[in-house]
Amino acid sequence: MNCNDLRDYYELYALGLAEDPERGEIRAHLNRQCEVCMKGMKQARETAAMLGSTAIPAAPSAKLRRRILASAGYEQRGFGWAPALAGALVFSVIAGVYFAGRERDVARELDRVTGISRQQNMELTRMNEVLAIINGADTRVSTFGGGKSTPPSGKVFASPTQGVVLIAANLPPVPAGKTYEMWVIPKGGKPQRAGLFQSTADGSALHVQRGRLDPNADLVAVTVEDAAGADAPTTTPLFAAPIRALVP
Amino acid sequence: MMLLPLLLAVQIREDDSALVLRMQRRDPLALAELYDRYGRLAYSLILRVVRDTGIAEDLVQETFLRVWNRVSGFDAQKGSIGPWLLAVARNRAIDYLRSAGGRERNAMEYEESDHPALYCDMEKDILASDKARIVRSALDKLPPNHRQVIELAYFEGLSQTEMAERMGQPLGTVKTWVRTALKNLRDELAVVSA
Repeated sequence: MNCNDLRDYYELYALGLAEDPERGEIRAHLNRQCEVCMKGMKQARETAAMLGSTAIPAAPSAKLRRRILASAGYEQRGFGWAPALAGALVFSVIAGVYFAGRERDVARELDRVTGISRQQNMELTRMNEVLAIINGADTRVSTFGGGKSTPPSGKVFASPTQGVVLIAANLPPVPAGKTYEMWVIPKGGKPQRAGLFQSTADGSALHVQRGRLDPNADLVAVTVEDAAGADAPTTTPLFAAPIRALVP
Repeated sequence: MMLLPLLLAVQIREDDSALVLRMQRRDPLALAELYDRYGRLAYSLILRVVRDTGIAEDLVQETFLRVWNRVSGFDAQKGSIGPWLLAVARNRAIDYLRSAGGRERNAMEYEESDHPALYCDMEKDILASDKARIVRSALDKLPPNHRQVIELAYFEGLSQTEMAERMGQPLGTVKTWVRTALKNLRDELAVVSA
C-alpha cells in the first residue's frame, strides 16, 4: 500500500483501532521512516493527545506527589516483600525461558509476567489497606440492606484513625459515563467526598477511603454520579449506613 | 502586546526543554515539577478511564515512574513531554482496564505508542486548556453515536468489534461511525487551527 492508501488510517492507528493489513502497513512505513506517514501519524497523535486533555478535571490526593517522589527513590521508605516477590517472579521466568534461547518469547513472557506482577502488587497494596482498617483496634462494623427485599446490601468498616472500607453486593449496574461515589456525611454538615469506585460484573464492590474520619461523621452513603464524580451528591443515595455510633 | 502570545509560547518551549534536561540529569526536583505541571491532567485522564480514585492514583504513580525511567531516550529539543506523558498515562489505564476485565492486552502496540521519539516536533502547547475546550466543543458537535465510539475507543480502549458488541450494532455500522467521526473531528480541528 502507498501512503495515500493509508492516509485515512492514521487516526485509527493512533487510537489503537487499525486492523491488518493497514496496521501492518503503517507500522512498516513508520519503521522505514517514511516521511509522509511520520507526518500524518504526528498529527494523528496530536489529535489523540488533545482527546486526553478533554477528561473532566479532577484532583488527586495531596499525598500522591510525595508517593511518586518516594517511589523514584528520593525519600526514605521501607521495602515490603512485594517488590522482592515481583523480582523473584520475573527472575524465575527469565531463567526458565533463557535456556530455550527464544528471545522474542522471553520478551513477550516478561511483559506478561510484569503486567501480572504489577497488577498483583496493586491488589496486594489495596488488600493490605483493607486488612489494616478491618483489623484496626478502633474499627467498628455497620451493616446495611439486611432484611430488605431490594438490593444492595453489605458492610461498612469505619476506623476513626484509618478510614472506611465498604464491602457491597447486589449493586445495580451504573449507566455508561456514570460511576459510584462514596460520601462520609457528618451530622448537620455537608457530605464529604470519599472516592469513586466501580462494581464488578456480579454487582459486588470493595472500596477503601484512607484517612482520619471527621469526628462528627454520621453516615456513609453511596450515590451514582458522572464519571469524574461530583462535589456534592446529585442523586438519591443507593444506601446509607449509620456510623455515628462507631466514631467516638 | 501583540508579541505576548509568542513570548509565552517561547517561554513554555524553553521551560519544558529545560525540565527534560534536568530530569535526564536525575534532578529529583524536576520530577516534582513535572508532576506539578501534568499530574492533574494525567490523573483526570486515568480516572476517566478506570473510574476508581485509588487505582487512578496507583496508575498515575506508575506513569510518572515510567516517564522518569525512560526520559534518557527523550530528545529535549524536539519532543513534547506532555503529550508523551499523557500517552503513557492512557496506555497504563487502558492496560489495567483490559487486564482487570480479562480482555486481551495489546502489549506491543502499547509499548510502541509509549515511545518518546514519536512525540518529536509536536506543538508544545497542545495540552493548553484553550485547546482542550476546542476539542471538547468539536466532540460536542458530533452526533451522539459518533461521539460515543470516539470515547469508547480513547477512554476504554475498545476495539471496533468490542464497540459493536457493547452498542449492539453491526460491526460495519460502527466502523462507518468511527471513520466519519474522526473525519469530522479532523475537519473541525483544522478549521479552528487555520
